[in-house]
Amino acid sequence: MKKADKVAYDKDYAASKKNGKPFFPYAIYKDTIIAGLAILAVIVLAITVRAEVGEPVNPATTDFIPRPEWYFYFAFELLKIFANQNALTPVIMATFMVPNILIILLVIWPFIDRGPERRIWKRPFALGTAVLVTTGLCYLTFIGATTPEGVAKGETLPLTGLDAAATTGEALYLANGCSSCHMIKGVGAPGPGPELTNEGAKGWDNAKMVQWLKAPLAPMPSFASLPPEDLDNLATFLNGLGTKYK
Amino acid sequence: MTTKDIGPKNPVEQGVAQAADYVDERSGVKNSGRWLMFRNIPAGTSWFQTLGFTAMALFGMQAITGIILAMYYKPDPNTAFGSIAHITNEVTWGWMVRGMHKWGASAMIVIVFLHMGRVFIWGAYKYPRELTWVTGAMLLMMTMMMGLTGYLLVWDQKAYWATVVAVNIFASAPILGPYIGDILRAGPEFGPDTLSRFYSIHMLLIPGGIATFIGLHLYFIIRLGISEPPWAKRALRVQRDEEDARRKAARNRDAGLKGSVSFPPAVVTDGQEVSR
Ligand code: HEM
Repeated sequence: MKKADKVAYDKDYAASKKNGKPFFPYAIYKDTIIAGLAILAVIVLAITVRAEVGEPVNPATTDFIPRPEWYFYFAFELLKIFANQNALTPVIMATFMVPNILIILLVIWPFIDRGPERRIWKRPFALGTAVLVTTGLCYLTFIGATTPEGVAKGETLPLTGLDAAATTGEALYLANGCSSCHMIKGVGAPGPGPELTNEGAKGWDNAKMVQWLKAPLAPMPSFASLPPEDLDNLATFLNGLGTKYK
Repeated sequence: MTTKDIGPKNPVEQGVAQAADYVDERSGVKNSGRWLMFRNIPAGTSWFQTLGFTAMALFGMQAITGIILAMYYKPDPNTAFGSIAHITNEVTWGWMVRGMHKWGASAMIVIVFLHMGRVFIWGAYKYPRELTWVTGAMLLMMTMMMGLTGYLLVWDQKAYWATVVAVNIFASAPILGPYIGDILRAGPEFGPDTLSRFYSIHMLLIPGGIATFIGLHLYFIIRLGISEPPWAKRALRVQRDEEDARRKAARNRDAGLKGSVSFPPAVVTDGQEVSR
């Protein structure tokens, strides 16, 4: 804002205060009503939708569905958008670039939009940014809330040609919650991890795959706590996907 | 029988009045309190301007329910889950306090986002309230970090693995990422100290930060005054008057130009203006 605009604003605001009303009770009564309603809503929710007691943590079994609180769904879905690129892209885009751009934009926004105009319909750039970011976040949150959380209990993968090691591997794959982040032939969550239907096409050997399972790139958690023979069976299963096991 | 008008006040009343005077003499709290409560705000203040106060009220509720939960909660990997089950199933009203804390977290996020939306739509972050916005942005991020750190404390499978993934995400960021990961986990791996670290961050570090920044936020808000709705009639009139004055000045200037030099006025040579 230019100096003249600032002076004009200060004058304008001083006038509005002079013709104003006292904070108590004119603002306080509205504040109290809305805050009271919000707390009432929380109490009603606490009574009707009880907080549950889940399953105790067991770092040894990785039978889990890593779902964050709903207000982080957008970050989780961002990971999925970039899931099927090479291994590093999701990390850089979804976990670093996009969030940091949003954070920086948030903090410095008043120093970007500095004009004297305050009516939103006369600030097309601000309105556009708001609509874009809000729809984006709402859309990703909605997707996060509605996508299935992996495979149902007892469901198997539609694969043929499994030998003994691969059958064990498949069971381990299902038991360790891999399908809550990866998809094989349409079964499992479509991310944040990449689809594994053709994982075998990479041509990795078991040692390389075991190495990956023990120390993967974020956000995938490490499976180093599994016994070596389990890791080997998992690696056999994964390295044959799309080539031996279709 | 009350002895309202005759003789001295009853000793209790007298004592209270004296104590109040004593404090006021040293703090001036009466005057500043009166100023705070009865200072003028713009007359057109709207219902949308209650959302910040509502966020503050919810923060207060989270603090109270959180203190009660902390009386029963045990931040140790072996006992944490059991203490949550104890709170939920055995402690009198425990399920209620936990439910309020849990839903209160979501409600606070929703309200803070709505509040930010109001401020954004109104352009209320413009001069002179830029720093109010910046302190608000810090509050938003700290509120979300509360959600992240609190989620782990229930110590069930879903929360545990979600937090493993979330911390992995932080740790994967370039440069500072690995350090942040180590600080959050209390080491290179999720271990016995991770839970108590999250507990400390969740109930001491971030609440302290939020309280501090609410203080700063309020300081700016009270000092600068709450903004007026951008569609306030009076503001529009002031603006219109000023536009009129500007236009009149431009006309005068053009007229002056025409008088001396025989160029067409600037407004007319500007293609934009002609096509209007
Ligand atoms: C814990 C979170 C927050 C609390 C407790 C809080 C509290 C408040 C309160 C009580 C007000 C007075 C007016 C009103 O209620 O609308 C206010 C105004 C304001 N808030 Fe916040 N706020 C929070 C978060 C934010 C965020 C996330 C932003 C923006 C990034 C923000 C920016 C502002 C601005 C610019 C004003 C001045 C608006 C005006 O004068 O019209 N606040 N806040």
